[in-house]
Amino acid sequence: MQAELLKFLGNPMFGIALSLVVYLIGSFLFKKFNGFFLFQPLFVGMVLGIFVLWLMSKATGVNVTWIYTNLYKPGGDIIFWFLFPTTIAFAVPLFKRNDIVKKYWFEIILSLIIGLTISVIIMYFISKLIGLNKSEIASMLPQAATTAVAMPIAQGIHGVPAITAMACILNAVIIYALGDWIIKLFHLKNPIGIGLGLGTAGHTMGSAKALELGEVQGSMAAIAVVIISVVVDIIVPLFANIVHL
Amino acid sequence: MNNKKETTKKAAPLLTQLGIFGVILFVSSLISALFPANFPVPTPVIGLVILYLLLTFKIIKPEQVEKVGSFFIGILGFLFVPSGIQLAASLDIMKHSGVKLVIMIIISTVVMLVSVALVATFLIWARNKIFGKKEDLDKE
Repeated sequence: MQAELLKFLGNPMFGIALSLVVYLIGSFLFKKFNGFFLFQPLFVGMVLGIFVLWLMSKATGVNVTWIYTNLYKPGGDIIFWFLFPTTIAFAVPLFKRNDIVKKYWFEIILSLIIGLTISVIIMYFISKLIGLNKSEIASMLPQAATTAVAMPIAQGIHGVPAITAMACILNAVIIYALGDWIIKLFHLKNPIGIGLGLGTAGHTMGSAKALELGEVQGSMAAIAVVIISVVVDIIVPLFANIVHL
Repeated sequence: MNNKKETTKKAAPLLTQLGIFGVILFVSSLISALFPANFPVPTPVIGLVILYLLLTFKIIKPEQVEKVGSFFIGILGFLFVPSGIQLAASLDIMKHSGVKLVIMIIISTVVMLVSVALVATFLIWARNKIFGKKEDLDKE
């Protein structure tokens, strides 16, 4: 079975086509239902895509992870690669509001350091309250950093890198779908604060969301994505040490 | 210096713009490889800093990268689909304590957004209080 699957679907075309089709279905539903948040194209695409892979696994009796790695990933990786230039592209909105960066650089850095420290402490106690075990808590703490930075940190503090990666991905999806709503709910008004928060919580996707809200928000989110990874790199292992994770 | 709007400036050809991105990515990947494994700095983050510096020091003009950049940012939702589908490989983890983890991730996302935003709001408020400047920014 696996050999036949590889013969027909083992090239990148399947992954690319599946990604495009599920996302376009999402876009269609999103328009049709006047922007209902559960029909965000990314969210629909992700759920449908996983569902298709799961169906294929049920139909063929092959394990989902094998299907994902051998049939979807070759194409998915090609699309994923374009996230690199996209992250770089956020330098343009950042540069356009250089006036704010020059004026508030100290407040920006301090906000990220203090904000992250507070977040990590709150996350630690809520994780304990919910009843996560030690390695799961350790996997939760580094999620403010981008995936590539967060995974090795999780490893270093005895967490599970795969869970951390999952957290980073879900952060982006949640911010993309619910960012506006959270901002309203907590009456966040300061554009610099909103931008830094979106960049910290939603990574690159948070920056895109912030850019929709305004130039200032977008540039602040872009700078947050860069600085927060360094902050996480320093603060999270330190905190893990203090609480003996 | 004439103060024409930026949109009237001529954008560089697409291939030139892509070329700039390509070279920056390549150089960033070389720099990223220099960092030790326990202090990783990913290629795209280095690239963002390099492009920002090139723009700030006026080596590259915004119109030389803007068109391609906005295109990529515009399709970011789509580019993220493979990362989302990647979770198919984590279905086993989800079976274990998936619901708890997902709830915790949702809470964490809200906590990070709100605490950073509130701290920043406070610090900027305090700064304006100390220096006595009115910022029209806050009322945007």
